[in-house]
Amino acid sequence: MAIVAHLDLDAFFAAVEELENPELRRRALVVGGDPRSRGVVATANYVARQFGIHSAMSCAEALRRCPEAVFVRPRHTLYREYSAEVWTAIREVVPVVERTGLDEGYLDLTPLAADFGRARALAEAVRTSVRAATSLSCSLGVAPTKVVAKVASDRRKPGGITVVPAGTEAAFLAPFPVRVLPGVGPRAEERLHAAGIVTIGGLGVLSDLDLRAILPGQVGRLLRDRALGIDPRGLELTSERISISVEETFERDLRERDLLHAELRRMADRLGEYLQRDGLSARTVTTKLRYADFSIRSRSASLPVGIDDAERIGELACSLLDRGLRDRPGALRLVGVGVSGLSGYRQLTLEEAS
Amino acid sequence: MDRETTAEIERELDEGGIAAGVEDSPGMKITVARDELVAKLGVVSRAVSSRGTVQVLSGILLSAESGVLSLAATDMELSLRTTLAAQVEGDGAVVVPGRLLVDLARLLPASEVTIEYRPDEGIAHVVCGTAGYRLNTYSAEDFPRLPPVDAQLHAIGRVALLETISRVARSASRDESRPVLTGILVRFEAGKLVMVATDSYRLSVKETELDATAPELEAIIPARALQELSRLSPTAGAGSDTVELGVHENHVVFGTGDAWLTTRRIDGQFPNYRQLLPETFEVELAIARVELADVVRRVSVMAQRNSPLRLRFAEGELTVSAQTQDVGEAKESLPVSYTGEEFVIGFNADFLRDGVDSIVGDDVQVKLINPLRPAILVDPTGDFTYLIMPIRLAG
Repeated sequence: MAIVAHLDLDAFFAAVEELENPELRRRALVVGGDPRSRGVVATANYVARQFGIHSAMSCAEALRRCPEAVFVRPRHTLYREYSAEVWTAIREVVPVVERTGLDEGYLDLTPLAADFGRARALAEAVRTSVRAATSLSCSLGVAPTKVVAKVASDRRKPGGITVVPAGTEAAFLAPFPVRVLPGVGPRAEERLHAAGIVTIGGLGVLSDLDLRAILPGQVGRLLRDRALGIDPRGLELTSERISISVEETFERDLRERDLLHAELRRMADRLGEYLQRDGLSARTVTTKLRYADFSIRSRSASLPVGIDDAERIGELACSLLDRGLRDRPGALRLVGVGVSGLSGYRQLTLEEAS
Repeated sequence: MDRETTAEIERELDEGGIAAGVEDSPGMKITVARDELVAKLGVVSRAVSSRGTVQVLSGILLSAESGVLSLAATDMELSLRTTLAAQVEGDGAVVVPGRLLVDLARLLPASEVTIEYRPDEGIAHVVCGTAGYRLNTYSAEDFPRLPPVDAQLHAIGRVALLETISRVARSASRDESRPVLTGILVRFEAGKLVMVATDSYRLSVKETELDATAPELEAIIPARALQELSRLSPTAGAGSDTVELGVHENHVVFGTGDAWLTTRRIDGQFPNYRQLLPETFEVELAIARVELADVVRRVSVMAQRNSPLRLRFAEGELTVSAQTQDVGEAKESLPVSYTGEEFVIGFNADFLRDGVDSIVGDDVQVKLINPLRPAILVDPTGDFTYLIMPIRLAG
């Protein structure tokens, strides 16, 4: 029996902006386009949602509903950095995952959980791990299939976990409006409504004949299966090792540049060892900085040729740290070094000439 | 790196060590030929700082004195200066935003341009035909004092100097974290000029005979500055077949006709290149240069994302191949006079291409030891050597 979890970060872009600027937490916050032109809402925080503001609404409308709202433009680079952190934290608990977006994806609990009770405990552990690593909140749905897990993760937002044990999928889905079912878009919804079918349960019990009339072809059968909680899709995994990283959380927040450099050099030594052991070289070095307020920055440098030597990695990591701290000074609770752009061949250097 | 440079500049500005020697005067007014102005701005504009950390460095210093307009720009590593004949109605100096002046000068409608600077309003007026511009300026007092050019000068053959630079410059590093390698080691010794550049993956050495006696000198000079010199010389130095060279403790001066280039010397220990060049080889063969260059260029198309070029030496044949995952592969052979056991050696495609392209003559002398030791390409004349470190191939 398969057990899948769907994880969805709660109001992700807005949550990151709140972390970056805690003042925003008490205010209605809209991440998205310009309210004076034709921009739309990408994410609204929970304060803004109380005014009826939701994603895909026009920013002009959002402004009408809440004139006091703060509008900020999305900062995708920053979101990617947080997202990378989130997924690292998730993988510590559940190694097999399929990311479907910066803020959502599926987790394969099958190898780790014998039953749904154990699966709930795992989902809780994931939620705790994500919060500890990033201060971000997420919601999870746990079910035998992707489609049910996806609907379930949206039930108890923010921060909730919804478990739908095997055998209860169809009953769980039945009361929801058809539009909630992944795969039902505006066109399918319109046809179903025209035929008097409003709930997922109604879709699930359609006869073959009726189904063909309303939603012809494979799409109809696919959606009816989904309405019953049947979903053959497995996780699409990207397990290829594309980077290696090391990081360290300090007992106290560090400001001293020489201590930070020493930490980075120590980590670079470990990375050098890994690379040399596996016969790999890396073209990109990334230094990660986490500040006392949990916000995260990373700085990368790419080289014309791959390297595997610890000293060089360390040198670069330190200069990247300096660059990061120049752009944003502050005490750090964590630093990390990563290497990527890995390949199995390595440009030899003149130091190795003789 | 940036930070150090900025700090240095700010410190020097604070100390007034490089404060300009030109004082604001009642006003400057000059009239010059537009085409000449455009040409001369082209000379100095390459030294205009693009970093933007110190605003005045993004400007070009214009100073007028007794019938001559002088132009100068510097980014603190490199400075460029030149002069042009002008009708001067008032002496004075001002710093005008460099990029802006270059761009607008090119577009001016008439053949004569008048530039007038009135210190009381801080504005430079540019008038050409019926076109008029008002430019905000920086104070000439804030412009760094440039190194003097009146030291003892030596005349160096222009062709010899530029040829030597062009043969080695590509091997210099662009990685600012190792400053020494961003420079070219320049050495004048008995009757010859030697230049060496390396980015630690390849190394170029060029020795050039000199006609005239040159000073005894060894300096590490930024590769960028020497490349600027090459760019500068054909236009600015037309008619002159020598370049003036002056060597100071911290900088070097080059004079080409009516333009002066000064550059910082780089401190530090340049790698001992003689020690790096192997003396004995397992394989030595001559390969037709143009054929090899063509094969390397064609196969390199499939060596993307730093994939190596593989050179397979077999009885009578060299096969060059490359493969990039998810892209494709390429393979091509050419006849060579190789005899012995088959072996494969990998190289970075760009580095190998740079090496083959730097060779002058019909043949490239290729010298190899084994797939993990340096390989060497040599000119038929023997005065140019290109060392290239292989890529260790997987498995």
